[in-house]
Amino acid sequence: MTTLPTPRPGHEGSEVPPLITASPRGRRRRPSGEPPPLPRHIDHSIRWYLALAGIAGALWAAMSVPAVLGLITRADLAVLHAVAAVRTAWLTRLMLDVNALASPWTVRLLAFGTIAVLVAYRRFQHLAAYLVIFLAAVLLLSAMTLEIGRMRPAGIEILGPWQGYAQPSQPVATLTLALVGVLYTLTPAGRWRNRGKWAAGIILAALCAARLYLAVDHPTDQLTALIIGWPVAVVAFWLAVPNDVFPVSYRGGRKAHLDIGGRRGAAIVTALDHQLGLAVTGVEPFGLEASAGSTPLRIQVHGPDGGKAVLFGKLYTLSHLRSDRWYKLARTVIYGRLEDEKPFSTVRRLVEYEDHLLRLMRDAGLPTPRPYGFAEITPEREYLIVMEFFEGGREIRQAPVDDGVIDDALSVVRRMWDAGMAHRDIKPSNILVRDGRVQLIDVAFATVRPTPWRQAVDLANMMLTLALASTPEHVYERALNVFAADDVAEAFAACRSITIPSQLRSLIRADGRDLTGCFRQLAPARRAVPVQFWDIKRVAITAGLLAALAAAAALFGIYLSVVGLL
Amino acid sequence: MTTPRRDVRSLHHRALRGPLSILLATVMLAAGAALSGCAASGGTVPGCGDPLRLAIIAQSVPSASYVPCIRSLAPGWNTSGFDPTQDGTSFLLNSDRSPGQPVTVRLTATCNVSGASPSPSRAPGVLTYTRLDSITPRFTGTLYDVFPGGCTSYRFDFALGSQIALVEQFEQAIGLYPRQQLRLILKQELGVELNP
Repeated sequence: MTTLPTPRPGHEGSEVPPLITASPRGRRRRPSGEPPPLPRHIDHSIRWYLALAGIAGALWAAMSVPAVLGLITRADLAVLHAVAAVRTAWLTRLMLDVNALASPWTVRLLAFGTIAVLVAYRRFQHLAAYLVIFLAAVLLLSAMTLEIGRMRPAGIEILGPWQGYAQPSQPVATLTLALVGVLYTLTPAGRWRNRGKWAAGIILAALCAARLYLAVDHPTDQLTALIIGWPVAVVAFWLAVPNDVFPVSYRGGRKAHLDIGGRRGAAIVTALDHQLGLAVTGVEPFGLEASAGSTPLRIQVHGPDGGKAVLFGKLYTLSHLRSDRWYKLARTVIYGRLEDEKPFSTVRRLVEYEDHLLRLMRDAGLPTPRPYGFAEITPEREYLIVMEFFEGGREIRQAPVDDGVIDDALSVVRRMWDAGMAHRDIKPSNILVRDGRVQLIDVAFATVRPTPWRQAVDLANMMLTLALASTPEHVYERALNVFAADDVAEAFAACRSITIPSQLRSLIRADGRDLTGCFRQLAPARRAVPVQFWDIKRVAITAGLLAALAAAAALFGIYLSVVGLL
Repeated sequence: MTTPRRDVRSLHHRALRGPLSILLATVMLAAGAALSGCAASGGTVPGCGDPLRLAIIAQSVPSASYVPCIRSLAPGWNTSGFDPTQDGTSFLLNSDRSPGQPVTVRLTATCNVSGASPSPSRAPGVLTYTRLDSITPRFTGTLYDVFPGGCTSYRFDFALGSQIALVEQFEQAIGLYPRQQLRLILKQELGVELNP
């Protein structure tokens, strides 16, 4: 027999989480038809932009009728003749110079610059949106150009270079798209973006004026080009990468964190009130530096005795879900072995899973935060999971680690083994110490009925964490009170660099001692447990990924050709 | 308390998927667009029965008294690369019996027909010339339609054996539309003057 009996759980036990305090209005079911706490906001500019898109559509429809096309063309020509009345030699030279903005090289410079910056900052969501929107707009413009087949201004001398049909004006549209791309993928919202809009507006106004002066475009050719290039593209960016979910920022830090002020802050308070019956008095970001997969929050609520109580919340959004997918795909390729590491299909599933794990762990007597459920902020897009806040709890690195703490930490792993669970992210930032007792947080990666080596790795990571504050010899000695020597041997036989969380790995490196080697020497000899497997699934996924990268590179060339960037 | 139903739900359903699927959609769109020829430049050449679209060709060479147009395409032929500019118009005539070797059609203000032999005229007031560069191993050369103020050239390069039928077919495919007639139609239909 290689395992020892399980010690009895401590004060933690199965329990139903008590309500902190009822909101004055109590919980409330949202009636059908009522908007959620944070509905997707459609502001006035978006409505105007949609109306402008309607105008472009109406103009195109009208141009398919020759009589109406004639009316529009005569009106256009009247404008062009009026502009032509001010033609002078020096002004013509100036306008020809300004018209150089319409050069494909201007658009190429802007587009490739945008793509390069997005890649450099690893803002792939914006990059994907940018490429799709640029392509869709160019295809729409090309299709309408061919469909309408409008001639260049007639009855007036055309002074500038031109190419192809006139409606919509391709150079104006592509430059507008390139500028809007810079504004909505590279420029932070607010003051800088507003300034950028003015600058882009001035550039486009100069180009349009020059092309009207040179009689290269009709005014309506420019109108529809501007509508496709600006309002329609902005609406597309708003749908694909809304700023409140995917903000453009260069302040550093984790990109996953959301702004919890304004409408979202109010929505959080409302959602917690209506859905969980919590009377919230304050919400603030908390421990952002330690979290990459969600936005952690410290939530103040009214306590049962009229005082204050504090809860911990994690706000999950679509962006976190997508991060989780990429993370798991990378793990599939790097580790090969996947125990229940299928990506979550929706944000709701992700939050449901963490809430479920919190409850399971509490039922198993593990010292994890008491769950309070989760609230829906925006259906299928944003959810807030709420749990106990370990007030006074300190990360194990900052707490005194005596034998009591070491024994308690090891018994936590023992209890997880007995409950058939693995935490899968044991590292100092997830182990808190409060009143000499160990608390385990961040159970989002935990799993039930994991592979045996995964459980063994939990033990190894816990012992390594404890050894950082003690010695391997002492931790090993204490571990033998809870685990068999063979268990420890298995743990370090399964332990590799890739199985150690990055925070723990860097702390071990900084410590300088060969902690893993020490534990291996102390424990009975055991052959290494194979961790990485090249099963068919891993081979297929890796090959598929490589093929997709090669295909993407080839198709990117086609893409550039199609959108006219080559 | 209830509030009016909003279109929020439909917007949620329209939310775009992850970056991977978006990128996949992009490359598929790009590939589809490239395969279908719906690219940023180029497209089908106007037919002789579509004078409103022919106007852009006339504008590319304001002096030309004729503009080339598609009269009728024999089976297996199509057009691509339509490119009207202020310096003239060019496009390609592709035949499935001459893959990779399209006939290049160009309308310009002038052309050099030195060394070319006169051929039967293709329209009133049009002088037609042919210059053969080689007969074997491939049948290559240029056909010219020269008319007041302009010239249309047809550069061909066919494999031996099928050249007679192919030359006949592309000559049949291209018509020459009188500028004067085009000017009248534009005046009637749109009320605009085609300059000059």
